[in-house]
Amino acid sequence: MKAFHTFCVVLLVFGSVSEAKFDDFEDEEDIVEYDDNDFAEFEDVMEDSVTESPQRVIITEDDEDETTVELEGQDENQEGDFEDADTQEGDTESEPYDDEEFEGYEDKPDTSSSKNKDPITIVDVPAHLQNSWESYYLEILMVTGLLAYIMNYIIGKNKNSRLAQAWFNTHRELLESNFTLVVVLPLGDDGTNKEATSTGKLNQENEHIYNLWCSGRVCCEGMLIQLRFLKRQDLLNVLARMMRPVSDQVQIKVTMNDEDMDTYVFAVGTRKALVRLQKEMQDLSEFCSDKPKSGAKYGLPDSLAILSEMGEVTDGMMDTKMVHFLTHYADKIESVHFSDQFSGPKIMQEEGQPLKLPDTKRTLLFTFNVPGSGNTYPKDMEALLPLMNMVIYSIDKAKKFRLNREGKQKADKNRARVEENFLKLTHVQRQEAAQSRREEKKRAEKERIMNEEDPEKQRRLEEAALRREQKKLEKKQMKMKQIKVKAM
Amino acid sequence: MSTNNMSDPRRPNKVLRYKPPPSECNPALDDPTPDYMNLLGMIFSMCGLMLKWCAWVAVYCSFISFANSRSSEDTKQMMSSFMLSISAVVMSYLQNPQPMTPPW
Repeated sequence: MKAFHTFCVVLLVFGSVSEAKFDDFEDEEDIVEYDDNDFAEFEDVMEDSVTESPQRVIITEDDEDETTVELEGQDENQEGDFEDADTQEGDTESEPYDDEEFEGYEDKPDTSSSKNKDPITIVDVPAHLQNSWESYYLEILMVTGLLAYIMNYIIGKNKNSRLAQAWFNTHRELLESNFTLVVVLPLGDDGTNKEATSTGKLNQENEHIYNLWCSGRVCCEGMLIQLRFLKRQDLLNVLARMMRPVSDQVQIKVTMNDEDMDTYVFAVGTRKALVRLQKEMQDLSEFCSDKPKSGAKYGLPDSLAILSEMGEVTDGMMDTKMVHFLTHYADKIESVHFSDQFSGPKIMQEEGQPLKLPDTKRTLLFTFNVPGSGNTYPKDMEALLPLMNMVIYSIDKAKKFRLNREGKQKADKNRARVEENFLKLTHVQRQEAAQSRREEKKRAEKERIMNEEDPEKQRRLEEAALRREQKKLEKKQMKMKQIKVKAM
Repeated sequence: MSTNNMSDPRRPNKVLRYKPPPSECNPALDDPTPDYMNLLGMIFSMCGLMLKWCAWVAVYCSFISFANSRSSEDTKQMMSSFMLSISAVVMSYLQNPQPMTPPW
């Protein structure tokens, strides 16, 4: 029993080892070639002899202690090989392979031999099969970018807020001494001021635009101040500004009372700003058609130019104090625009032309650049205080300045001319609009008649409509006759 | 017209309420950036289900739209844009957890 057990164990072990060895081979031919006997290394030379044939290793048990290994089938195979060798042609005996047997396998002997000579190359595992954090470097980059954006948002927002507060603290006294109401915007939902008294904070329209409304002063209806800071909270904008420096701006719009300002259009500012305004603004393009002129005649620096409706206005506006303001703060002034015909920028409507002239208001507009070209600090806001003084002075000046008789006539003529041009341009459209209105009226009346259930009433309404039409025709005919008579 | 002091320009009886300009001219003057970024964010979110980098760009677009938005802007729209872009990123990673390959 003991021997039998030993035999089984040995058989199992040998079987598993040989199987493991044979696992590496893909086809029978390789298994045939592989042999772990002593003659394996001489296989290539002694191909046509004994080792080519498959050898079956049988373990037999003769007695308890020893086992013998017999090589079976060897003689038979040898004979078979010799027979094969005899049938082959003489010149093939020296060749290791029969050509006909191995068609298409010409390269194989070569590659198998060359394979043994090449060193083993270790290929990197592709990134998508790795499972380490390093392979997610793009994701980490994205998240870092987002965090940077959020940080910049917080920092930019805080800076804009501090600048706005600094501006307000500097200007508060001046504003409160000139206006009864200094209030933040926007108003409450019902359109009323939630707080009618002055408040200490500026309203935010955006993270970079702050509004303030001042009212309750002689001469003007009110003053809207808009602090248009740079978009410091947007990282893209910050990067764009690195290419092209831009300044923060303060825009002030004073709406004058109708009786407190005469009829003129006038602008002074940097040449670039004036050219842009002339293109964009309705009133400047209509009333100041000439190119911006140099203000050197009045003592202004070369950087500033003047756009004016007539020379008298320029002479009247450019008094000593105004020239002093403009000269001393020329670097901070972008544009100053006084107009009684202000209606905002030109509106491009789909039908080509608006049917009526836009509403105009007497307005004084100021655009100032905050010093620093983007790198602004809260203390820079103090430099804008003299400009606010200029605004107050301009309000009073606009009230005092009156055109003489000639100037007034010229101004009236200009306004009439503009209106006539406008009417001519829109004549066709207005006619069409009137025609469509008339047709609409007729249609409505017909419908009313049709809908009338009472036949008597219907008849009466129809008669009334007929009579009206006849009257109209008669009137037209009368008019034509009169025109003919006049022509004669 | 009674004035307290000739040098005091204030007139309490002339206080006027602020009337915002009519909304017709506002769209032309308003910055269109937040609206464009919102739209781009939504488009990239849709494409993000196929391409991972699109989903990340959508997240960036919604952040930029938020940073440029006006205070009167609807917060619900902002939040929905955020949620859409974040869900696009999450969905694309659930579907395919492997790291992103650069689009170039």
